[in-house]
Amino acid sequence: MASTGAFRERLIGAWEEIRENLGRSVLQALGVLLGVAAVLGGFSISDSQRKRSAEMFVKMGGLDKLNVQPKAAIKDGRPTALQQANLGLRDADAISGEALQADAIQGVSRQKNTRSRVVSAYADQDRQVRGIGGDYIPTNGYGVAQGRGFSNTEMETGAPVVILGTEAANTFFPKGDALGQSLRIGDIPVTVIGTFQERVFRFREGQGNQFWWRNRIIAVPANLVQRRMNGDAYRRVDQVTFRIPDLNAMSGFAQQLKNLVKANHRLQDDFRLDDVAARVRRRQSQGDVYDIIFMLSGVLALVGGGIVNVNIQMASLKERVREVGVKMAIGASGREIFKGFMTEALLLTALGGFAGLFLGVGFSWIITKSIGIPLYMTPASFVWAYCMAAAFGFLFALYPAWKASRLSPMEALRYE
Amino acid sequence: MTPIIQTEALTKVYGANGAAVHALRGIDLTVEKGEFVALIGPSGSGKSTLMAILGCLDLPTVGTYTLDGRQVQGLSGGELARIRNEKVGFVFQSYNLLPRASIVRNVELPMLYAGVGRKERRERALALLEKVGIADKADKLPATLSGGQKQRVAVARALANNPALLLADEPTGALDSKTGAEVLDLFRELHQQGNTLLLVTHDPSIAALAQRRVEIRDGLIAVAEGVA
Repeated sequence: MASTGAFRERLIGAWEEIRENLGRSVLQALGVLLGVAAVLGGFSISDSQRKRSAEMFVKMGGLDKLNVQPKAAIKDGRPTALQQANLGLRDADAISGEALQADAIQGVSRQKNTRSRVVSAYADQDRQVRGIGGDYIPTNGYGVAQGRGFSNTEMETGAPVVILGTEAANTFFPKGDALGQSLRIGDIPVTVIGTFQERVFRFREGQGNQFWWRNRIIAVPANLVQRRMNGDAYRRVDQVTFRIPDLNAMSGFAQQLKNLVKANHRLQDDFRLDDVAARVRRRQSQGDVYDIIFMLSGVLALVGGGIVNVNIQMASLKERVREVGVKMAIGASGREIFKGFMTEALLLTALGGFAGLFLGVGFSWIITKSIGIPLYMTPASFVWAYCMAAAFGFLFALYPAWKASRLSPMEALRYE
Repeated sequence: MTPIIQTEALTKVYGANGAAVHALRGIDLTVEKGEFVALIGPSGSGKSTLMAILGCLDLPTVGTYTLDGRQVQGLSGGELARIRNEKVGFVFQSYNLLPRASIVRNVELPMLYAGVGRKERRERALALLEKVGIADKADKLPATLSGGQKQRVAVARALANNPALLLADEPTGALDSKTGAEVLDLFRELHQQGNTLLLVTHDPSIAALAQRRVEIRDGLIAVAEGVA
């Protein structure tokens, strides 16, 4: 088969046909081209968005977190004595939670917050003060820029020390010499032992800094808040976060934790769990709708192009009936004619599709540029876009080719 | 020896019962190997239909046709294509060359369908062009050739697979008398080399060149003269 070069001859024939009818062929290829560009563009725009989101989550300190927060056991009505006696989320919950799956958990952090008057030599503001414990700093994507983090002893004893975010540092110490200075939170004098790195993230270029509020942080040891600001005998906390890098272990752990905490809380549902990765996945699956819309518009472009191609092919077939007749007279079978027409259509599809990939890249580049996110394309998108065009090209070539192959040789020869 | 063409009661009916047209009404024709037969008849006589059936472009409604020992009636489209490819060489009045393929590729085409390898195809095509006297035009496109040259290409193409039968349908109809005569000389030469020729024409002077003349009228053989 290969030795006779029949395929090569068909390819040459198809190329000659395309070159001879350049206008018509360009029109035919255009349908494929636009379809491929639309599919590829759609894919890469949603890929770029997704990639950007992933970058944002990494900067936020990762998705592999399970947050536990207190919740009112009842929404309305008069609470029962039991409900009134609810214990709330406590330090003890964090400790026993960690004991559940010590292997899978890579970090536990606690938060005990308060609002308080914060006073320095330069400013006097009512501010949120974040009491942090455990691995809060890495878990939330913070890094110490100047000075140092809290030592274990400081954490344990609730030492009067503070680390400031860049905004807080600038507000309370505008001269930039925050380190070693002293602040008053409520009545408690605290010493600045460090500042955090600035947190910056703009989803799109030119947008405001979405992480600006993270720079407002005023962090003190949780135990300081607990013991000297607004703590209570139960050592209640505002949030406990477990970090579990193995996302498969997450849902099992969440279930165990739920049972454990509920048992600890006298069977009260006074807390809620928030699996961050699952929440993000849910939100991304809503984003999948856009993928489907993009895909659909690409497919529709391909279908439209395909129908136009069938029409053009059928019209051009009329011009070529006699040629088909001649080929049949000298011994071409219907199969041979069919293959010839298919080769031509597939060659056009291949060329149009190839050009479409370039247009698709340009198209994606323009759109991502205009919405201000970096362009990100995966090889899979190229393969998909091309394969889809090829599939549609094949499908829509079948009918005209079949029609041509079924011509009667004698009638085709006499056709004027 | 088996004849090249043998038909019995060949009948062709077009259309349905009510408006049926009987193009052929029972043709019995035998052509032996090496014969040069002219098929003549006025237009509408059925000679084109007969030619189509003899060339395996169409099938008879009734009757049998044996071409070079092969029964033709009842064959599928694919099998007919194969027979046309291997046993029949067509030469048409309007040359019917593929306009976008070079001369040599036009001649190669029947061999391509027969599955002949690329190298052999090219060699044989060039040899055939040599034989019909236009080897120098091998790489030209048909549009650059004169009518007589085009018809020579068509003859070379018809000979490509060494057919049992050469079928020529008014081969000089589109040529002036001088080039027409040259093409006819070529046919005579081919006949002398042992090819079997069936030439369809309405021109008695051309038919006179053949060994035998068969005249068709109203779908029947009216006159058959010459050596049987």
